[in-house]
Amino acid sequence: MEILVNLDVMMAKRKISGGELAERVGITPANLSILKTGKAKAIRFSTLMALCHELQCQPGDILEFKE
Amino acid sequence: MGLNWNKDKSVVLSQVCIAVFALCLLALDIGAYRLASWFVQLRLHDWRLGALLMVSIYSGSVLAWLCLYRLWKLLGNVRRGELFVPENVRCMRVVSWCCALAAGICALSALYYPPFLFVAVAAGFMALIVRIVKNAFEQAIAMKDELDLTV
Repeated sequence: MEILVNLDVMMAKRKISGGELAERVGITPANLSILKTGKAKAIRFSTLMALCHELQCQPGDILEFKE
Repeated sequence: MGLNWNKDKSVVLSQVCIAVFALCLLALDIGAYRLASWFVQLRLHDWRLGALLMVSIYSGSVLAWLCLYRLWKLLGNVRRGELFVPENVRCMRVVSWCCALAAGICALSALYYPPFLFVAVAAGFMALIVRIVKNAFEQAIAMKDELDLTV
């Protein structure tokens, strides 16, 4: 049972690089990498909101629940 | 305050205290034989009690040196701003075990010199306090890890 982060899929769909997305969202590339690799233990609503805004998607497009 | 006291100076003061304790311990190690001789004179010239006192002093001294070394290391980490790191927990665990073992040695020593029982109780209580602080640090490290991995 886990939460998968499909951020790289959405980034590929929107053709945006990690560095650019990190800058637009206002987080460090290191933190974006933590998020992409699934090492993150939590995500702030403000970060999720900024990611959804920049990638023009819904939270469910980024996060996925897996049994 | 006129002395312009700050957190860093407080750590330095703690390190100075450790150095003073280390000097006292060194003096005890050097003067243990003399202390034992005096103790033998006091206790009706029973040389076995002197030997037992020497064993108690030197076994306790090993633990005290280890304890002081770990405290010195812990303060060094605190001075560098590395507070919630696993190494500090290890230091506190060692200090706690040293106090517990010292309490055990003192409890055994109380068999030939009852006042050692007070030292045993004090050392045991100290072991308990350090252990509880160590448990709190472990929890704080887990919380810090979670916070560090919150994006």
